[in-house]
Amino acid sequence: MSEGTVLIIGAGPAGLEAARTAAQLGANVVLVEKRDRVGGTPDESNYAKLTHHFRDADEAIGELAEAATSHPHVQVLTNSQVVSVAGEAGDFRVGIQNGAGAKTVHAGAIIVATGFQHFDPGRETQYYNYYSFSDVITIADMEGMLKAHQVVRPSNGQPPERVAFIQCVGSRDRQIGNEYCSKVCCGIASKQAIEVKQQLPNSRVFIFYIDMRMYGYWENELYWPAQEQHHVNYVKGLVSEILAKDDRLLIRGEDTTMGRPMEVVMDLVVLSVGMEPSQGTRQVAEILGLEQNKYGYIQAGGPTHIDPVATSRPGIFVAGAAARPSDLDDTFATAGLAAARAVATLRQPVMA
Amino acid sequence: MPQQYTFGKATASYPDVPYEEKERLFREVKEDPRYEDFLYGCYECGICVSACPSARFYDYSPRVIAQTMAREDVDRFYEILAEDIWNCAQCFSCVRCPRQNNPGGLVTLIREVAVRNGIQETRDVLQGYTRVIYKVMLKGNQVSPDMLQPDFFPDWGPWVASFRGNMEIWRQAIPVDTLRGVTDAAWRTADNTLRELYTIWFETGNLDIIEEVDEGLYELLLDVMEEELEDWE
Repeated sequence: MSEGTVLIIGAGPAGLEAARTAAQLGANVVLVEKRDRVGGTPDESNYAKLTHHFRDADEAIGELAEAATSHPHVQVLTNSQVVSVAGEAGDFRVGIQNGAGAKTVHAGAIIVATGFQHFDPGRETQYYNYYSFSDVITIADMEGMLKAHQVVRPSNGQPPERVAFIQCVGSRDRQIGNEYCSKVCCGIASKQAIEVKQQLPNSRVFIFYIDMRMYGYWENELYWPAQEQHHVNYVKGLVSEILAKDDRLLIRGEDTTMGRPMEVVMDLVVLSVGMEPSQGTRQVAEILGLEQNKYGYIQAGGPTHIDPVATSRPGIFVAGAAARPSDLDDTFATAGLAAARAVATLRQPVMA
Repeated sequence: MPQQYTFGKATASYPDVPYEEKERLFREVKEDPRYEDFLYGCYECGICVSACPSARFYDYSPRVIAQTMAREDVDRFYEILAEDIWNCAQCFSCVRCPRQNNPGGLVTLIREVAVRNGIQETRDVLQGYTRVIYKVMLKGNQVSPDMLQPDFFPDWGPWVASFRGNMEIWRQAIPVDTLRGVTDAAWRTADNTLRELYTIWFETGNLDIIEEVDEGLYELLLDVMEEELEDWE
């Protein structure tokens, strides 16, 4: 049983989940991926473990990829990019470019799953001396070290005694232009803090934050265990600057709940960089003519404002972090919903 | 020298001690078997402070107690041990903590360590309670009205003299019949009860603790108690 084609752009967690679901619902799926392999940002950025039960990221995303790409109704086009779209819901003609040349795919509905990118802490200002001090890294850099079981100070290859995470780097900041909360970094930093303590039990780990936003089960699965079992120190107050002190790093800020200024030495500082719409999300939004919000994410909500996968263009849906900062729960939920809407569009184009 | 995690300078009214000594005392508190039931983790919500009567009148915060212990802030811990713990009324209003912490219980543990170690600040604080301890240990009862003397209770303020001078009138005002007019009963205690009481003080090591903080008082108590127990035997 096949009732037409859903074209999905991006083969990260959102695109893979949407592909699997749409295929299971009976559609043909064409999954277009710019990179030479599926897996998206968790794969590209070497994620070590997921917040869900600390599952190995390669394994969990690998299972998802296998489920999606092995389905007989899913066709994967890697090294491929969408370059044009014409038509309307129920009858899109999508131009696709790859090394071999260009081709056109007929699709009844489109799902955009082009995701996010990590905020670059050197993009506008030299935020926290990220590009000057090798011992200032990001949570994305930390994932690679955790994955390799090599948590060290890049400057000398030695394990750090004192590690600081700084939250909200590139998020909740009017000056930067990203006023939104990136939603996942509190959980990621807490997860990484636990992993650092597991790999380096004698280290001291601090998290400097504005608010800890540990939604739902992250409270009992990450936040409390980090404090209670792993003795991670949470300090409310952001770091204003990082200075070199001998061969270590001196961080300055305010310990707000203790009501005093702080000046502490660290060996490794991890910037909890937030999410931004990926270049692919911005480009695809342009090509597809989708409305973007002021931050560059694809505007979701549709005419009712409450539909999380509707875009400004009927028949085109958005899943995952292309629309908003999203954790994996959000991503799978919106991917499944987008798949359902897309398949419904194939069956009743006028309802789109 | 161990890396310290205290931010800013403490404006302490007591002499500093070496970091290693603070760490030793800190460990002694954490090694108490009750500790793990008194502290889980603190997310600094402040409900303990809002429930705390002492926090309304003193520079005292049960949140800071829990937070300091959780963060293992050894320098701040020593400030707490030297000063903060005596601002707690041990009413345990703070146990409504959503994380199920017990800041008042932590204060109990820190007080015990402070007393066991005969910390000078602790001796100074307890000086004012000598007569209370004396009465409690020897009679099994609190201060009695006839003990109200300005010299012994400077912390009660300038009203003590007035209370003492007009004791009869004050007692008349107490709205409980059995207490009305009693100014000099001094809580007579049966010999048998006293002997049991003294035996408990000896057996539980209570007297040893008194010895740590107030040797003079200890000698005084020891004399009376030993004599009483010898007579009994």
